[in-house]
Amino acid sequence: MKRTRWSFWWHLGSLPILLLTLLPVYLMLKISVSPPAEVLTPHPTFGLHHVTGEHWKALLTSGALWPPLLKSLLVATWTMLGAIALAAPAAYAIARLPQRWKYPLLLSFFASRMIPEVGVALPVAVQFLRWGLEDTQLGLALAHLIRTLPFVVWILAGTFETIPVALEESAQVDGCHRLQILWYVVFPLAAPGVAVAALFAWLESWNEFTYALYLSLTENTLPLQTYYYVIRGSWFDAATYATFLAVPVMLITAALQRYLKAGYLMGALKG
Amino acid sequence: MSSRDPRSSILALRSSLLGLLCLVLLLGGRASAGTELSVMMGLGEGEWRVMRERIFPPFEEQHEVKVRAIQAEADQAVKKLVAMHRAGRMRVDLITQDVLRLSSLIDAGVMRDLSEQREAIPLSALPQLIQVGTFDGALYFSPYRPNVQITYYHAEKFAEYGLQPPRTWEELLAVARRFKEAEGVGRVLLHGSLDVNTSIHVMEFIWAAGGDPLLLNDAGSVRAFSFLQQLAPYLAPETRLANWNTTNTFLATEAVYLARNWPFGVNLLVQQAGKTQIKAYHGWQGPLREAHVLGGEVIGIPRGARHPGPAVEFMRYLMSRPVQETLVTALGWPSFRTDAYGTLETWQRPYFAAIQEALRYAVVRPHVTGWAEVDRALVGAFREIVYGGQPVEPTLARYHQQLQKARQRLR
Repeated sequence: MKRTRWSFWWHLGSLPILLLTLLPVYLMLKISVSPPAEVLTPHPTFGLHHVTGEHWKALLTSGALWPPLLKSLLVATWTMLGAIALAAPAAYAIARLPQRWKYPLLLSFFASRMIPEVGVALPVAVQFLRWGLEDTQLGLALAHLIRTLPFVVWILAGTFETIPVALEESAQVDGCHRLQILWYVVFPLAAPGVAVAALFAWLESWNEFTYALYLSLTENTLPLQTYYYVIRGSWFDAATYATFLAVPVMLITAALQRYLKAGYLMGALKG
Repeated sequence: MSSRDPRSSILALRSSLLGLLCLVLLLGGRASAGTELSVMMGLGEGEWRVMRERIFPPFEEQHEVKVRAIQAEADQAVKKLVAMHRAGRMRVDLITQDVLRLSSLIDAGVMRDLSEQREAIPLSALPQLIQVGTFDGALYFSPYRPNVQITYYHAEKFAEYGLQPPRTWEELLAVARRFKEAEGVGRVLLHGSLDVNTSIHVMEFIWAAGGDPLLLNDAGSVRAFSFLQQLAPYLAPETRLANWNTTNTFLATEAVYLARNWPFGVNLLVQQAGKTQIKAYHGWQGPLREAHVLGGEVIGIPRGARHPGPAVEFMRYLMSRPVQETLVTALGWPSFRTDAYGTLETWQRPYFAAIQEALRYAVVRPHVTGWAEVDRALVGAFREIVYGGQPVEPTLARYHQQLQKARQRLR
């Protein structure tokens, strides 16, 4: 009974937050499917009255959407894979270090994030340009790793910490060697944390603007293309692109949210 | 206790990652560019279409060069070019750049001296556009297209209240007051976003009163700020958010009835949003004269460009009369050549006439090292005097001191 009452208040309390979060998304969507006469008036209505697919049709047939979409998709995926591949072993090793080493080391990863990105972006971009990495997926993915790696290491170190060392010892007793332990015991148990870190890395790259601006010449990423339409296009182009940019984020978050559950390790040592 | 078998979740996660990896490998390959003339411009979609269909092909055919188009807004262009220049890998051969954002490129040493190409500039060129591309006597940019802000007004609302578009400061004040009294809210807009947009409008008021924005405490500046302070209570509340971009939204949603802005809004408001009731004229004059900050674009070639020869040829081509006439006809851009005429669509003509008339009063913003300090002073004075109601003369005297100190430091 007490639990039900708490749940009711919890849901009621989260309602305003939900509305505040969804309102901009709704407005974006509304503008993207509204005729100009419905939006460009002194008192635009809140609800949807006349729905038009014209702006979406224009977006999907313009030819200006697919190259940036593909580039963003590929760069975000490379960044995610790179971040997990690089951060997972580092985070595991850090998680098994003694406390007095662990936290200073983890904090040191954030040193690069202490300086504003706008200040770091130019020298980083200059170095990347010297290496000939302009307008390449590799260059952009590497640049995105600069900002994502510290957080991914942080998340994964926290995840590996929760996996009891006793499990690894048990596996060793059963005849597993070091790599087998990592592959068959540690990483599967860390899957929810890995999913969170992967999701984070993907989203960070998907939305990233500053490095993309410096390192893209002929092919924009989707955020750059959206910015282009905000600056140069009509209100409807901007809203349609912004909605399109937000859709994959929602889908991926929805798809991976089941990995965000706590309690996966409960009972791991049972028996 | 989880209702789902963790092993199946892990399997699903692994499969998803594997699938994504396959997708990346499948789609990842990309051909690299060959030897092309890379041209960086900041254009809208329709403008790029005209470039790709009507401007680039004749040049490509004649010179056997492929023009590679790079979209970059003026401030993005500066960042990209500075980065490429510092890296020693310039990948852009030619740029067309906003005349209000040239100093940073010159200060960074990015641009090539084009003084040897001075003879390529036609005699019919607007002298202000040559002046704007000249730094310390050297020509770094050649003229391409001039631009000035025009004044948009809601013709139906003006007719409803029996008003005429204001031609003087007194009329501007009267119009602003009339709208405020009639509707309870201001309908006249200035660019008051407290950034470079504001400094451009303030500069125009100062020049119109015979002042000097580099001094700020002279009689003209005092007169301009006194007028702005008088106008302040009747301004639209949207003024605080107004810049070159948001002004179009305020006009389109009829939140304001009178606003000065760049002419690109014509296509957006009239052609795309169908707001035919929004008309335009050149603007109003101050106690001394009418003044509009000269905007527009000029052509430059970065140092270290890979194809300087074809870039110079392309620069000459862009300045040629046929190209300028195509730009007038297809885009409604006024030409920097007084001998280039185009054919405009009927609906475009009154707006084009407004631009041409405003161009007569175009004033070149002076080349000053550290222009950002001037912007800061103009915006700061605007904030305190217009928004804060501070006394005009002492406030301007203080900003004059600050500006002189800052400029001395920079020198």
